[in-house]
Amino acid sequence: MTELYPALQTVALPQLAQPAVIAVAVAYFTGVALIGGWAARRTRTASDFFVAGRGIGLLPLALAAMAATVSGFAFIGGPGFVYTAGVGALFLVLSASVTSSMSALVLATRLRLLGEIRGLITIPDAIRVRYRSPAAQGLAAVAIIVGVVGYMATNVLALGLVIDAVFETGLPAGIWLGMIVTLAYSVAGGIMAGVYADVLQGLLMAVASVLVFLSALQVGGAGQGLAGISETVRAVDPGFFGPWGKLAPIAALSLFFVFGMGSLAQPHVAHKFYMLRDPRKLKWYPLIMSVALVMTLLLYFAVGVAMKALSVRGSIPPLANPDQATPMFLLQFTPILLAALVFSGVAAAIMSTVNSFMSIGAAAVTHDLPRAFGRRVGNELLWGRVSTVVISVLAAALAHTSGLLVAFLGIFGWGLFASTLVPALAIGLNWTGATRAGALASIATGLVTTLVLEALAWFGAYSFPAGVSAAGVSLVLSFLAFFTVSWATAPKGGPEIDEDVRLVMEM
Amino acid sequence: MKKLALYVLFVSIAAIFGVYLQVLTVGHATPWAPWVLALSTALSMLATMILGAARRGRRNGGLGGLAFPLLVTFVLIAGGFALALALPGAGEPLVLGLPRRAAIVLYGIGLLPLLVLPVAYAVTFDEMTLSEEDLDRVRRAAAAARKSPIDQGRAGD
Repeated sequence: MTELYPALQTVALPQLAQPAVIAVAVAYFTGVALIGGWAARRTRTASDFFVAGRGIGLLPLALAAMAATVSGFAFIGGPGFVYTAGVGALFLVLSASVTSSMSALVLATRLRLLGEIRGLITIPDAIRVRYRSPAAQGLAAVAIIVGVVGYMATNVLALGLVIDAVFETGLPAGIWLGMIVTLAYSVAGGIMAGVYADVLQGLLMAVASVLVFLSALQVGGAGQGLAGISETVRAVDPGFFGPWGKLAPIAALSLFFVFGMGSLAQPHVAHKFYMLRDPRKLKWYPLIMSVALVMTLLLYFAVGVAMKALSVRGSIPPLANPDQATPMFLLQFTPILLAALVFSGVAAAIMSTVNSFMSIGAAAVTHDLPRAFGRRVGNELLWGRVSTVVISVLAAALAHTSGLLVAFLGIFGWGLFASTLVPALAIGLNWTGATRAGALASIATGLVTTLVLEALAWFGAYSFPAGVSAAGVSLVLSFLAFFTVSWATAPKGGPEIDEDVRLVMEM
Repeated sequence: MKKLALYVLFVSIAAIFGVYLQVLTVGHATPWAPWVLALSTALSMLATMILGAARRGRRNGGLGGLAFPLLVTFVLIAGGFALALALPGAGEPLVLGLPRRAAIVLYGIGLLPLLVLPVAYAVTFDEMTLSEEDLDRVRRAAAAARKSPIDQGRAGD
């Protein structure tokens, strides 16, 4: 998936070890630790551990969903991508204006109600009750575990790079230190610690992003704001501010499709709908989530275009590595306290994403896989904590030992979740004609095609023409398998769905 | 309306598959490919939202107060893509600080829908998504299902 290679943060950042940066980072990590301690005292059951006892309010839900959606990429890799690809890079996040509403219309209420009436705690749980199929639950869990380990390894590597840059620990120590801190609050306080840490992290990310946005427009536009940036850049590089930037139209549109539709079934975000105390509070979810998301993505756009303008104007040399765009802008053009806030924001973005993956990965291992084989784990809370540690150590070990493998695993996380879960979960919960065989065919198609196509592309055995990505092809094939197999296997007596599930689907 | 949305979703996904197949076969996109991909992407998202929103017994084909906001969102996305593809690039004026076509993409597709759908979702929530009565009905049905001996064999739990 060539368009997404810039999404990986695998290159060292400049050293940031200055007293203000260290002080803010220490304050941030202390805040997270305090939240972890507080949540640990309130985590007594598996329900508390995996779905926060279904007791969180709307604002924490929306901020936690936003923080889990936005990884460190939005702060480091994203601005670098904009610096390189211009407006084309925005197609990766452009659908954010619609995706929260789409997921509210399609998923939120149904998942929340199913969670309540059936005691569901995972996304594969919802697939099981929808299709009355433990096999579909098991297959979805396998897809989630594969995606989670890769995604986590990439994020842990990025966290290691940030910690190394701030505290000068060296990369290996940075990786393990970051993992231990995240693991400590996640194991102790489960998703409850994660959600309330996400509130702190989400606020930090949004505030930092808005402040940097304003600063970037001012500095990049030489006092004339966005118009100054546009005029400067297009005088020497008209394609940068073309509607598709440096990408071919078909590549940009393909990004919009994959990330727009794919957002519907990112399990670490959808899973949070189970946690909401009052389902009627979902009324304001799209508005709060969308505004928070757009605020947080302002930095993504502004730093990329500002650095391009500064480079064109000769104020800075052209960037050898686009990932240096944010660190260099912050260190050269903003007050050090704002830079410190953003670097903590980067750590926050990564940690909130990692924590969410820990939770859904542990649930897939201790809850979904045993149930797929008709078994139940005796003490889900204990084993949830144990598997959180095991998955995390595995991800950190991968990040530590194999940069190349980590980069490969990290590429396909989003596409894998999209192709395996969007048809079976998002469409299946809204179409009574979808069948168990259709869901199984779709999940299996998504899993196999994503792994095969990404491997072929990564190892150079096949090169996709510009505009076509493995994730896009896999998502489309998974949809087609879902529709055709469902229509071919439609039972004569009508759909076989439990009455309470059908009632929720008809809401 | 749900059935129509389902067919539109299937056709738009098949069209996207057709575009990918064409690019994979020929090695590059033909001039019509971006147009088909733009329209199919917008349609697939609209159809998915209609599939989630439509409810039996509601006005406007089951879409109630969401029909117009959904239409506006589709027009913004599909229209934005079409203008970006069709408008000439030479001598573009700046619109709100950006060259015209970039402004259409960023403001028209990336920001304007934000003012439409989330607000419409909130305003129509009781009518279209979940009223107190809906919630009571689901909770009563779940309680009845738990008491029923047939429920013992539910594959779901």
